[in-house]
Amino acid sequence: MADKKSVTDYCETKECAAEAPPKPTHMGWKELYLKEDWWAIYLGIGIVVVSLIAFLNGSTAVKSLAINPGGLKWSSIDQLFGHFGSNLHLYALQFFSWLVIFGISTRIMGIKTSEFVPSFLFLYVLSIIMFSIGGWVDAPKYNLEPPLVALIIGLLIANVVPLPKWMDSGFRVEYFIKTGIVLLGATFPITLVVSAGPVALFQATVISLVTCLTIYFVATKIFGLDKRLASVIGTGGAVCGVSGSMAIASAVGAKKEHLYTSVTLVVVWALIMIFFIPFVSKGLNLNPGVAGAWVGTSEFADAAGFAAASAYGRMAGNENAAIQGFTLMKVIGRDMWIGIWSFIFALIACLKWEKEECGTRPSPMEIWWRFPKFVIGFFIASLFMTAITSGYSPDDFNKIVKPGLIMPIVSLRSWAFIFCFLSIGLTTRFKELKAAGMKPFLAFTTGVLVNVALGFTLSVYVFGNYWMGLGK
Amino acid sequence: MKRLLYEIRINYTCSDCKYFSDDPAEIEEAFPGLNSLSSAYASVKSNAGVCSRHGLFISPRKQCEDFEHSDSRIAVSG
Repeated sequence: MADKKSVTDYCETKECAAEAPPKPTHMGWKELYLKEDWWAIYLGIGIVVVSLIAFLNGSTAVKSLAINPGGLKWSSIDQLFGHFGSNLHLYALQFFSWLVIFGISTRIMGIKTSEFVPSFLFLYVLSIIMFSIGGWVDAPKYNLEPPLVALIIGLLIANVVPLPKWMDSGFRVEYFIKTGIVLLGATFPITLVVSAGPVALFQATVISLVTCLTIYFVATKIFGLDKRLASVIGTGGAVCGVSGSMAIASAVGAKKEHLYTSVTLVVVWALIMIFFIPFVSKGLNLNPGVAGAWVGTSEFADAAGFAAASAYGRMAGNENAAIQGFTLMKVIGRDMWIGIWSFIFALIACLKWEKEECGTRPSPMEIWWRFPKFVIGFFIASLFMTAITSGYSPDDFNKIVKPGLIMPIVSLRSWAFIFCFLSIGLTTRFKELKAAGMKPFLAFTTGVLVNVALGFTLSVYVFGNYWMGLGK
Repeated sequence: MKRLLYEIRINYTCSDCKYFSDDPAEIEEAFPGLNSLSSAYASVKSNAGVCSRHGLFISPRKQCEDFEHSDSRIAVSG
């Protein structure tokens, strides 16, 4: 079939038509190796299993590999350099391990290895510096929390130093945070998910509906904006930031400009919230579990939210509680809504907005296709480790399991998170963001204000007692 | 013949079209800031992509009258 043929030449018989390529379905099995959600599951669960095997065999290999200068509490540069001098081989081995697992997986997903390797080396060195700053004995006095410092340093570098664009290949914000979330699952008791999950889901449902509908109606009824744009920015504010916007944009067939607008609005507001919520929480002396839930309710993206929750948790002296509150609200509560909103808006767009043929009618499978699969890894890790550690008495858990198994996983999770926090800054170039326009900005901002106020009320006053019980 | 053409048409969607691209690297390039807090390699994107003909970000399961097959040997067009 080398020659170009017309439709009639191509298929003149019914038999021929039957041989035409079938209607495309979803990615199918390809998703298992082309999507970072699945890779985050493989890596996270893989690390947990290897850590468990090492622990059960009395090996300290993983514990050594999980080395991290963040807990040094160093007071002199000599002390810091002495630590690196005596552990250089471990850091080299750790870097190589991260490089191999992230390098191979990103290669399979289609990211150029020649770009990923130098970029990741740069990221790793910066991460060591961030942990070192956090490990300074006086760091808490100056609020030098590694998540916030990493974000600021990343932003400064990206916006002052002209890093080549290809370096973004190694700054995989989402991949790092998803891997960290799966590792987080290993230290997250499934009993906590069961007990606090329903509250999180209810709070997430309220906030998701109210925020999305607020932005949608302000955008369409007050400012007369396009319905597709309204739905894209509405879900961006209500569910999962840029990811939510991307899912809804494709579901409704939005213009590229609509997605540009949403990316800009979400990035700007998410960055503001990373600093706003922790410092307001500090001013109000909020319980870290409560503040974590507020961050989970009112921050727009998982990566940004973890930065905010982790920063405030450290300020308040209980990072675990803040991260647990955030995870329950955002990862388990709000992220679940991505697929549901996609399907709903796809149906509305197809049945109501489009006068012309809209192609294949949206399938309820859209909910699964859009589902953030890494959440499955979080649950598997949580179930697995809860089952494994339930056989230990509280005493044995604290004396044996915690230092030998849990803490190395926590340290590796911290690495994944710091890679992510730095990457947020390093990939945010303000001058590249497209202008959002005043009307979309005002509509989105109205939603932000409603979301922040409602999120605060629900987290502090309505369900405060639930969130206060976290992190114990 | 109309019936046959219809049967062919229903077998093609945007994913077969030369104007459609779902390449994650191209999408991250096309939307500055997208990779700051999200990713074109994420499950939530599914296999959505950009239609360069209409300037849309769409599902590959859509169809339209401007369809042109991505395989130049197959001249199916609307």
